[in-house]
Amino acid sequence: MMGPILLVILPFLGAFMLPMVYRHYAQVGSWVAPLILVVNLIICLGLWHGVEVVGAQSMAMGGFTAPLGIVFYIDGLSLLFVLLLLSGSLLLWLGAWHRRVKEEMLLLLIVGGGSGLVLSGDLFNVYVFFEIVAVASYGLSASRRGDACGYAASLRFLLIGSLGSSLILLGISIIYALTGTLNLSHLTLLAPELLQGAAGLSAFALMLIGFSVKAELFPVNTWVAEVYAHAPVRVSALLAGIVSKLAMVVVLRLLLLLYSHEYAYMLLLGIGVAGLVTGELAAFHAKDLRRTLAYSSIGQLSVIAIAFSIPGPLGILSGIALAFHHALVKTGLFMLAENWRGDFSSLRGVAQKAPLASFLLIVFSLSMIGIPPLPGFWAKFVLLQAGFAAGNWYQIAMIVFLLSIVVEAAYFFRFIRVLYQNSAEQPPSMPHKRELQPALVVAVLLLLVMLMIDPINHNLTTIATQASDVKAYIYNTLPAWKLDY
Amino acid sequence: MNLLDALLLLSLLTVVFMYFYGQRRDAGWFGVAAYSIQLLMLAGLYGDMQNDLVLEAGLRLMVMDFNLSWGMSGIGWFFALITAGAALFASWFAAGDWQDSQKDMRIQHLVLALNVFSMLVLLCSQDFLSLFIGWELVSWASFFMMTHAGGKAADAAYRYLVYAMSGAMALFAAIVLIIVKLGSSRFEDFWAAIPTLPDSFLWLLVLLFFTGFSIKMAVLPFHLWQADAYAETPGANASFLSAISARMGLFALALVLLQPVGIERLHHLMLPLFSFIDARILLAWIAALTAIIPTYIALQQSDARLLLAWHGIGQGGLMLLGITVGTPLGVAGGLLHAFNYATYQAALFLAVTAVLYRTGTTDLDKLGGLITRMPWSYIVLLLGIIGLAGLPPMNGFVSKWLIYKSLLDQGMPMLLVAASISTLGTILSVYKLIHNIFLGQLRKVHYEVKEVPLSMLLPMLTLAILGFITGLMPGLALSLVDKAQMALGYAPLPHHLGGLEWTTGSLNMLWVVGILIYGIAIGAIIFYFFGNRRHITHQWDNYAGGHFLSADVPYHYSHNFYPGVMRVIGGWFRNQILNIEMGIRHFIQWSGELSYRFHQINHPALYLLMVTVLAMALIV
Repeated sequence: MMGPILLVILPFLGAFMLPMVYRHYAQVGSWVAPLILVVNLIICLGLWHGVEVVGAQSMAMGGFTAPLGIVFYIDGLSLLFVLLLLSGSLLLWLGAWHRRVKEEMLLLLIVGGGSGLVLSGDLFNVYVFFEIVAVASYGLSASRRGDACGYAASLRFLLIGSLGSSLILLGISIIYALTGTLNLSHLTLLAPELLQGAAGLSAFALMLIGFSVKAELFPVNTWVAEVYAHAPVRVSALLAGIVSKLAMVVVLRLLLLLYSHEYAYMLLLGIGVAGLVTGELAAFHAKDLRRTLAYSSIGQLSVIAIAFSIPGPLGILSGIALAFHHALVKTGLFMLAENWRGDFSSLRGVAQKAPLASFLLIVFSLSMIGIPPLPGFWAKFVLLQAGFAAGNWYQIAMIVFLLSIVVEAAYFFRFIRVLYQNSAEQPPSMPHKRELQPALVVAVLLLLVMLMIDPINHNLTTIATQASDVKAYIYNTLPAWKLDY
Repeated sequence: MNLLDALLLLSLLTVVFMYFYGQRRDAGWFGVAAYSIQLLMLAGLYGDMQNDLVLEAGLRLMVMDFNLSWGMSGIGWFFALITAGAALFASWFAAGDWQDSQKDMRIQHLVLALNVFSMLVLLCSQDFLSLFIGWELVSWASFFMMTHAGGKAADAAYRYLVYAMSGAMALFAAIVLIIVKLGSSRFEDFWAAIPTLPDSFLWLLVLLFFTGFSIKMAVLPFHLWQADAYAETPGANASFLSAISARMGLFALALVLLQPVGIERLHHLMLPLFSFIDARILLAWIAALTAIIPTYIALQQSDARLLLAWHGIGQGGLMLLGITVGTPLGVAGGLLHAFNYATYQAALFLAVTAVLYRTGTTDLDKLGGLITRMPWSYIVLLLGIIGLAGLPPMNGFVSKWLIYKSLLDQGMPMLLVAASISTLGTILSVYKLIHNIFLGQLRKVHYEVKEVPLSMLLPMLTLAILGFITGLMPGLALSLVDKAQMALGYAPLPHHLGGLEWTTGSLNMLWVVGILIYGIAIGAIIFYFFGNRRHITHQWDNYAGGHFLSADVPYHYSHNFYPGVMRVIGGWFRNQILNIEMGIRHFIQWSGELSYRFHQINHPALYLLMVTVLAMALIV
């Protein structure tokens, strides 16, 4: 059982070795990081198979079992997001970043830290891995050289991010003070007694707000637009599409295991609805593609938050589906946005120069809006089912959500219309062919998902049910407590 | 694989073909062939449409434990017939000389085929999910049809898009509510549950379904988008759009909500606070107002295509009115009106497009006197407006008669008055249409104008003749309506070739038309044999308003037409709904700017603090 550890160790090792490898064997160097990702992907698929055969399992480091030792919990949910992280960063690797050792290092750190983040079975490690991911993403967001706006934006990102991290730390220390343990399954046992009072819930609120910085939730998401507008598109795609989801998964875990309390659900719901409204409206006002996409991703992540705030497996299912759909489509959209900078009006007639890119943009937008039979529709369909079945506040949230889809359609097609307008002036340049490759891969994946909605739905349902099974989590991690339940 | 599968497959193949070969000169003729075959296939399905039986298609999906199935019932078949017919004539019109005046024929062919295919898919839907899929397909297909010309067309199409998405979301909400409540997406389960659903829930569903479907039909108060969007669509496709596209809303509303069980339930669904109004009467009045107001807006238009498009909205109101009456007579009237309307509206749009082709404009202020140059187009337009106004011998008369009759039978005289007011507006404005294009003085710039070529004239004439034949022998169209009516669960009308036998008064169009021709013949005999010698003056030698006019004094009061009428009713056109729409738009823009500013202000730490304090406060 070395697999889960390798998922974390290999990227870290790669990250620290990479400069040396590059110095001595430049030819080999550019292959090291993709190779690590591929190896990890294979390990991850192997673990996936294992989970399918024997079910969820936990792994104790160094022979110390929980609650004393450090634990990785391996179930469908965590592996799914590790898979997303690995395949996403592999996809975004294609082509562009050869020989840029600093970025490669940071990306590997994100991969390792992110894998650890979703696998960890105790709060302290969650915090550590979260910090690694956060610091690496501050660096990555400033990686367009000589861009003063980009530096300023990432500095702001850094400030708000560190404030958020300190809130997380504060929350974790409150929990530690209340319970004396940080192991998640041990906490799960203690939560009903110790954590659902005022102090325990305030710990949740602090942690939620801290994670919100990364998860682009209201109102600590003001960094998003500027960073995504100035960072390299691949970084924007990575942060918007994938890294933000990892923070969301941690929030989901906390919610499921420790805080199945009405206050926690309502807090997440409220933050989600507020973020949805402001995000989509701001996207409607934005006048360039990058910022539109950035605000739209705020809106989408808020929708995922709303989905996770619905108690029961259906909410989790829709949240996971929306998260994956968003990861896929927003990545594709950002890849298309590479050369479409500046104000909308400067992009008249681009469709004639870049017909394929414009067509892909239409397909992605339609899926984003949720037009059947594209995958986005099914994700939204499940969310609406869960929401309308859940109760009053959720139904209001669903109405807001439906209205936000109209706004979404309005801003996507306002932009697309500009692309297809005839223009007397010379249309600006089109995206690199190189940048189109990942977008094409995304489009193919989207098509495949569309054809396999039913099996995917089946698998995700299993994962969602598995994730919401708290008893199994405890049992798998703490066999000794089995008798108590 | 049955005939229905073959039909859907052929329709899909037409799309594929048009994508690859749409730029060829003979693509239009291929379209004619394809739509003709589709029409023949539909005719071949005539025998399969029995009562409420459904002919299942081979395509069936199982998604998320929901069965998605497609199949054709009588009502879908009826509308599919109109769809394929409208596409046939649009394609026929565009196949010949017309295409030389267009630079994007490939896209026009492609979007037409796409629209036909998506409409067939919608018309074949057999459960709520397949209905929603079909609905979205149709919405987007017609969006692409409207938008591709760019410029003003794209503006109008964008407005349509926002409306259509709002409608789709209402529909989405209704469907999910039904699925959550009933655990099933099948129509049958919903219909079975209608009598037992609680009032509040049913009101919600009525509201959502009505919003969703009526936005497509441009029923009041959602009527603002349609006229611009249809009028700006290039060429023959506009005739297709206005002939049938908006009827998809009527189809869906009739199928989902206005079956006998639904009408019966709506009849007992009282409006809260105003309990003397039930949901059915409410719908009927909305339909009646839709028949009136857009018709009088049409009266104001100075562009021929806009005028026709506004009439399309008003006629949709009449159809809905017929169906909400909910008697076999009323439903037959509403459905027959959909058929009849398609024939004359397509003819009218094609005639106006013919004028556009020859003169380059459809501005009613810049035309006139074309009767001497384009006599055949004039005849088509004349027959078309007779149908639109609902006068014998054209088919529009028959369906309006049925609707009026059903209103009388049901004891709804005020609605009858409303429908008549709408007809009055129609007659006034179609006179404006034909006068300003064809009558009066010919303009100097149009001296050289010629009649349109045969390739365009033939489909126009065929449509006009079709309108006449189904007016003379409404039994032909009524036997198609029977199928739709039976599928909805109403008894078919006892009809014969010339009309129908009805207890409170029968109609035989053979007699009506016979007497009409007889009267005209007597008039002609008196005129030719006993009248004064004819004194034929030149077209420019005219007389109007007490003045003799000659060629050098341009006569044309097409501008500011009906000043007297407008003095009376002009004050009523106050655009309240337009103001509401603008208000919503500005509100969204304003709050968008606010949200944007919120994200621009650089006090993230303050926000963080605020939300933390707030969250803490909520705990205590």
